[in-house]
Amino acid sequence: MADKVPEWGSASQPRQPDTLSAQPQRNAAVSPALAKALIGLGALATIASTFLAWTWTTSFPGDLSVTGYPGGNQVITLVVGVLLLVALGTAYGLPGLRWLAPRGHVRLLRGLALAGAVSTWYILLAVAIELNGIANWVTGSWVALTATALPVAGAFLLADDRHEAARPPAALPRWAQTVIILAAIISAMFIADYGITTSFTEEFIGFALAVGLAAWGLNSSGVLARLTELNARNRVATSAAAFAAALLFVFLQTSDQYNTIADDILIFATVALGLNIVVGLAGLLDLGYVAFLGVGAYSAALVSGAASSRFAHTALPFWAQILIGVGVSIIAGVIIGAPTLRLRGDYLAIVTLGFGEIFRIVVNNLNGVSGPSLTNGPEGVYGVPDLSLFGYDFGKPHVLFGVTFGKFGNYYLLLLVAMAIVVFIYARVNESRLGRAWVAIREDETAAEAMGIHGYRFKLLAFALGASLAGFAGTINAHLLNTVTPDQYMFSASSPPNSAFLLAAVVLGGMGTISGPLLGASLLYLVPAKFEFFQNKQLLLFGLALILMMRFRPEGLVPNKRRQLEFHEEEVAEAEAHAVAEADASEAEAVA
Amino acid sequence: MTTTVFLQLVTNGIAQGAMYGLIAVGYTMVYGIIQLINFAHGEFFMFGGFGALAVYLWIPPVQHLPLLAALPIMLVGGMIASVVIAVLAERFAYRPLRNAPRLAPLITAIGVSILLQQLVFLWYPQPGGGKVQVGVNAPVQFPTFAGKPFHLGGVLIQRANLLTVIVAFLCMAYLAYFVAKTRTGRAMQATAQDPDTARLMGINTDKVIVVAFVLGAAFAAVASITYGLRFGQVSYDMGFSAGLKAFTAAVLGGIGNIYGAMVGGLVLGIAEQVTTGVLANYHATQQWGTAWQDVWAFLLLIIVLLVRPQGLLGERVADRA
Repeated sequence: MADKVPEWGSASQPRQPDTLSAQPQRNAAVSPALAKALIGLGALATIASTFLAWTWTTSFPGDLSVTGYPGGNQVITLVVGVLLLVALGTAYGLPGLRWLAPRGHVRLLRGLALAGAVSTWYILLAVAIELNGIANWVTGSWVALTATALPVAGAFLLADDRHEAARPPAALPRWAQTVIILAAIISAMFIADYGITTSFTEEFIGFALAVGLAAWGLNSSGVLARLTELNARNRVATSAAAFAAALLFVFLQTSDQYNTIADDILIFATVALGLNIVVGLAGLLDLGYVAFLGVGAYSAALVSGAASSRFAHTALPFWAQILIGVGVSIIAGVIIGAPTLRLRGDYLAIVTLGFGEIFRIVVNNLNGVSGPSLTNGPEGVYGVPDLSLFGYDFGKPHVLFGVTFGKFGNYYLLLLVAMAIVVFIYARVNESRLGRAWVAIREDETAAEAMGIHGYRFKLLAFALGASLAGFAGTINAHLLNTVTPDQYMFSASSPPNSAFLLAAVVLGGMGTISGPLLGASLLYLVPAKFEFFQNKQLLLFGLALILMMRFRPEGLVPNKRRQLEFHEEEVAEAEAHAVAEADASEAEAVA
Repeated sequence: MTTTVFLQLVTNGIAQGAMYGLIAVGYTMVYGIIQLINFAHGEFFMFGGFGALAVYLWIPPVQHLPLLAALPIMLVGGMIASVVIAVLAERFAYRPLRNAPRLAPLITAIGVSILLQQLVFLWYPQPGGGKVQVGVNAPVQFPTFAGKPFHLGGVLIQRANLLTVIVAFLCMAYLAYFVAKTRTGRAMQATAQDPDTARLMGINTDKVIVVAFVLGAAFAAVASITYGLRFGQVSYDMGFSAGLKAFTAAVLGGIGNIYGAMVGGLVLGIAEQVTTGVLANYHATQQWGTAWQDVWAFLLLIIVLLVRPQGLLGERVADRA
């Protein structure tokens, strides 16, 4: 055996990354040096072009008519141009930058080049079409058009060098890891901030195109996987950085205008994360989840001292409202869950669907005419007062650290805390004995019971915990919106949160992960909100997206490792068989 | 409360229940074979009604026929609409996920349901004043019988209700014959019992599954037309609550059992009508009547799941994985 070792080494040598990077030279039609030069030139020209005017009138939204500094969508093009230069550094093997492309730099270059080109061309086309004609282009437009095309040509002339991820370099010092995490998360926050604060559809589409293509490039170059790994190794630092970045968002806002969107996203994401415990961890399909949000919101609103409430004179403090909201939600969850969780999961799906519908009917009917007077029927409970905690009135503007916080800014802070609580609970539960029991039940209940897990008890616990988290979010939602009406809590409606959208956020983002539902919720909220022409086709596209998602990427955008294996069992098995066969072959070769 | 009023409620309940039963058969057949709750079945039901209405609206001669003569033509239109949609959904949405984890096809089914509902909502074409009106965002009028209801004792029997019961009986009789006597029907039974062995015996299980979808959709189309005749309207979102009720009926009767579906439908229909009728009849409980109908149906489902989860006629399927 021992004498074979050197041969083994020699057999596997061609797989090492440094030798691989030499390979493209053989296949490429154009010398890589030329292609790289093309990219570099293009990137520089792209950056330069954003300082020129792209049209002469200011009638196109975002004002692209200024020479001297970038405006509107030119900022996106500028950032992509800079990133392209950085990525080019990896292609030239600059020390320190190779870390950015563990699986090959060509895909990264292609992704970024496409991001710059497609987003820029889209804007230029929009200018030409909306202002009726190419006559509206000026020299700068042509420069931008050509400049962004060059890197695409260059990147696609380079031969693909995708390979298995190179061995991660020796662990970086702790401070460097923290800096990288912080930088990554802050940039993610800036990207999210840009997306939220886009003020017209074209800007958002240009932004979405650039981000989508760049994300594709980053993903296939392996840098995202590496970041994920880094984040997983420094959980505390990551969570702290994410929290800090989210906090930074609200300090960047100059007005309350976009804080409303951010608040809605936070509520939506928090509830989606709660649902993820039920669906993602325990595998219980809850189709009426939004009803628990409603239960919490109604409970809180009724005892908040709102004038239209049945108990108008009962104005309990917020902590008591939370206790009541959560308590009532848990009771509702147990009432629904107890009879159904003994049965197959499918029954739960239909019973929760029914419950979501019944909740709406019940609160509609408890109006004193077709039922006892409690919820004020279709009008709901309105005039829910703004929160006031420790003398801090959430309804009034405050100045903190020189930044003015309007109503929605105040609630943003509160919601951030609420989300942090839910994330904390999720993370702790996920790693505990409880979380493992849930996953075991999800995978195979019979096997789990054979291992001594009390299936029913754990399922009921998951269901109740999910209900309580939704109820908790609901108590805040009631104050944020100042009104609680039955129509806010439907199975499917054209705007989130509703049960169908919540489920979609979890599925789209990735079941069983923390970042998945957050990403899914942000996308599901932002995309329809920013595309005006979606308005009435939103649900249609949404249904289609669910079907396609389940067909082609059931594990979601941020896949949970274990789930990915589950969904692609056959492919993984095939790949493994292939790898074994290959290893056998190379062994045979080595022996020969 | 007089006996007559009570009998009236039961009569109405039977008609309502027969409709639930017809829809429930589709749920139960598909569930019996591939253990999938086809959330989109309510939308197949809705498509049936709109298909039938399309025939009525777009082929003018049909409108001039007496309704009883026009119905078979409308039925063909409704069945085509709902069967085509069912087959397409099975082929392109459900079949690729046959071996996926359980949650995946359920979520797909929700997607299909929303998609179908929105297709009708956005693009259902109706002729209106020489122009084509696209989309339905409100209930659309459906032709109804003009004649007076029949009297039987003091009980009124609406013509549409009578037709519903007759049609439901004929459908069930055909289904019983089909499942017990025909080759495909027996193949269906075999597939439901043990798909792997059935395949080993040379049964084309894919075909059997398609047949289950087709039959379910056809029955749903029939139910949809009776719905239109009884209520005088169809709407794009009628599939949601009808589907929910029908699924309740299927569970009530024992899911996987086709006769159970009809029995469950009838029990649910009668229970619903009688409960709300009785409650509305007395002053003290009056406000708990009609508006709460769906709530009582839901409570019935919960109680059945607690007391007899295998359903009234059903075998115990709760543990079958």
